[in-house]
Amino acid sequence: MAGQGMDRREVLRCLALAAAAGTFPGFSRWSFACGDHVNAGAPTPRAANYTMQFFSRHEYATVERLADLIIPGDGTPGARDAGVAEFIDFMVAHDDSIQYPFRLGLAWIDAESERLDGSRFLDRPAEKQAEMLGHLAYRDRYRSGEEDGRAFFELAREYTVMGYYTSPIGLKELDYPGLRLYSESPGCPHKDDPEHLHLPPPKF
Amino acid sequence: MRGVFMAGKVYDVIVVGTGAGGGTAIKTLAEAGLSVLALNAGRKLVPARDFRNHRKSYDMKFRGFGDPRTRAQSYGYMDNEYVEGVWEHEITYTTAPGTQWMWPRCYAVGGKTNFWGRSSARFGDIDFKAAQRDGYDVDWPISYEEIAPYYTRAEQMMGVASTVQHRPSNPDGHYLPPMNFRCLDYILQSGCEKNGVPYLPDRIAQLTVAHAGHPPCHYCGGCTEGCDIGAFFSSPWFFLPLAEKTGNLEMRTNALAREVLVDENGKAHGVAYVDRLTRREEEVYGRAVVMSASCIESAHIMLNSKSRHWPTGIANSSGQLGRNLCDHLYGTSAYGYLPQLLGQPSFPDNVSSSTVAWMPRWQNLENPHQESFIRGYSVYPGGGCSEFPWYYRHLEGFGSSFKRDIKRYYPTPISFEVQAPTLRSDTNFVDIDPEVKDVYGRPAVRIHFQWDVNTLKMWEHSKQVCAEVIRAAGGETWGAADHPELPGYSLHETGACRMGNDPKTSVTNRFGQTHDVPNLFVCDAGVFLNCTDKTTTISIIAFTLRSSEHLIELFRRGEI
Repeated sequence: MAGQGMDRREVLRCLALAAAAGTFPGFSRWSFACGDHVNAGAPTPRAANYTMQFFSRHEYATVERLADLIIPGDGTPGARDAGVAEFIDFMVAHDDSIQYPFRLGLAWIDAESERLDGSRFLDRPAEKQAEMLGHLAYRDRYRSGEEDGRAFFELAREYTVMGYYTSPIGLKELDYPGLRLYSESPGCPHKDDPEHLHLPPPKF
Repeated sequence: MRGVFMAGKVYDVIVVGTGAGGGTAIKTLAEAGLSVLALNAGRKLVPARDFRNHRKSYDMKFRGFGDPRTRAQSYGYMDNEYVEGVWEHEITYTTAPGTQWMWPRCYAVGGKTNFWGRSSARFGDIDFKAAQRDGYDVDWPISYEEIAPYYTRAEQMMGVASTVQHRPSNPDGHYLPPMNFRCLDYILQSGCEKNGVPYLPDRIAQLTVAHAGHPPCHYCGGCTEGCDIGAFFSSPWFFLPLAEKTGNLEMRTNALAREVLVDENGKAHGVAYVDRLTRREEEVYGRAVVMSASCIESAHIMLNSKSRHWPTGIANSSGQLGRNLCDHLYGTSAYGYLPQLLGQPSFPDNVSSSTVAWMPRWQNLENPHQESFIRGYSVYPGGGCSEFPWYYRHLEGFGSSFKRDIKRYYPTPISFEVQAPTLRSDTNFVDIDPEVKDVYGRPAVRIHFQWDVNTLKMWEHSKQVCAEVIRAAGGETWGAADHPELPGYSLHETGACRMGNDPKTSVTNRFGQTHDVPNLFVCDAGVFLNCTDKTTTISIIAFTLRSSEHLIELFRRGEI
């Protein structure tokens, strides 16, 4: 029964998506209507075509770089591949409550970078960018006077996680097992080890 | 009757509401051959369009986080981007100073059964005779023996998956095969055993096998967004089609009840409503009226039904209409993670979005005063590979190590939600706001409510026990919620039309028939004396079956 209904529902879902995606901007990479079904490859970056809804070009580039540092493409695709900067731009454009914190935070990042080395954040070498963020991200490397920067970094990290793990790439990274069809309620495969003290070595 | 002279059709019964209570009444009455007019305050849902349970987060405009511009008005997890426009936001209610009540209402046909949590445990004598045991309040006017056969029929109609558990707090019923325990269930069960806390399959109205013409669940996990194949009980999937098939049901949607109309003797003879689309006032007539608008809304409509016979609201000679409001305190008693599962591959352990397991009441079973509080609470454990890795907040840093940590922790998170009942109190009630009206001109209902000390003690107790269970299971705690959820969040409010044997202290008798107005029935959680440590839906269905059959019997005997 569930199997029979699948095609109909999938078709409906794709149609709804195609219709919806056309009506709102900023979806070039993150609304892959039925990407995991019909589109095998990774999405093609289209940053050149993207029109910002809130950020200036410089702010947008900084957001994109920050997102990429927070969730990099390493063995698997990262925030840049998942179009996280577009997601953040879209959400900020629709949310008064985070517009000022984002704008202020991005200004702080550049000001702090210039104070330290005389160059804007994007003009720093990659390892120097990471080093600067390290002081905002790890408790044992906090520096006094950077409270505003830490608050902004946490905000940027939150929206990066939100954007990445709700994209087709992010759900694949997690191997999210939901929204699939199972013939019975998935049960524990290690019933002989109820406390799970003898599992196979961690895979990740 | 006046209706006859106005040349309008006189139905046998008008049922206000189509959810758990209304759906049961409508089906039972229509199948008995009575003509039924159902009034529903909202629209009919179209499963293919309104149930977006198979959409992925990236299919949604705001990725499932909701439009930031309206997010503040959301009633919580169930009122989300996937079900936009389904929960009621137009109709005003007010709260007394000091009361913070959140009132999630679903006025779509079928009401909250479209999106409910599906846990379905029977009430027992430990609940009905609680006053006898601990001296607080009064007993219910009904025994378990009387209601048990109706629970059996409710379970057969709904399909409830569980096991026979022989718990003193929880009578067993007739069950479909249970859902399977996941890794986290076995681990937490070991932690519970070390603390003397039961950890068992929940009773859940979700079809583990095909049942009564409905397909089995496919465990996609989108239940809170509604089921587009009807694999869990809801009034529109299970009851309303059967009622329609009899040819005895007429339904009016977007029909917002204003008041119960009375004849020259003060008996119910119809309902006045406003059509929300045309804004026209309408009147419909019936030989009996069943109120199933949900606990607070039924009381609201009845309080607004003032006449020379009923100056303070229909069937309110006791003054108890709207009083005795009870609710479940919900909150995250503890949450954390299971290090045993770090780095293990993802596993579909969260996909049913269901209460696979529960920790049924274990307090005050032998001695009603064993704990520092009376009565008891239950707990729902959960966790596993969720759609969104919310636990990232507990992981420090950024870069490849952060990304790897999110992956490593993915199967590990766990949490415990407490379900703790309040006791009746003179200060918890609803009345009519003397100043505020809703957009349809109906005087608004005003809610007065505070958590009581007994319930807050349960909350504190549950935080200690659940943290201990996590430790004993080899887990690590991240914390507990700072505060319980707001009152109203559980959707389990009860008591505003309380039943009882004494017409001076209760609104309805033990059949849900109002003491004052013999052809007016209340068939929702309003009749319950309190909300116990169990959920309310299956009890609404069982009690409504009994009330409906009593009403049918009155028709047969010519008494209505």
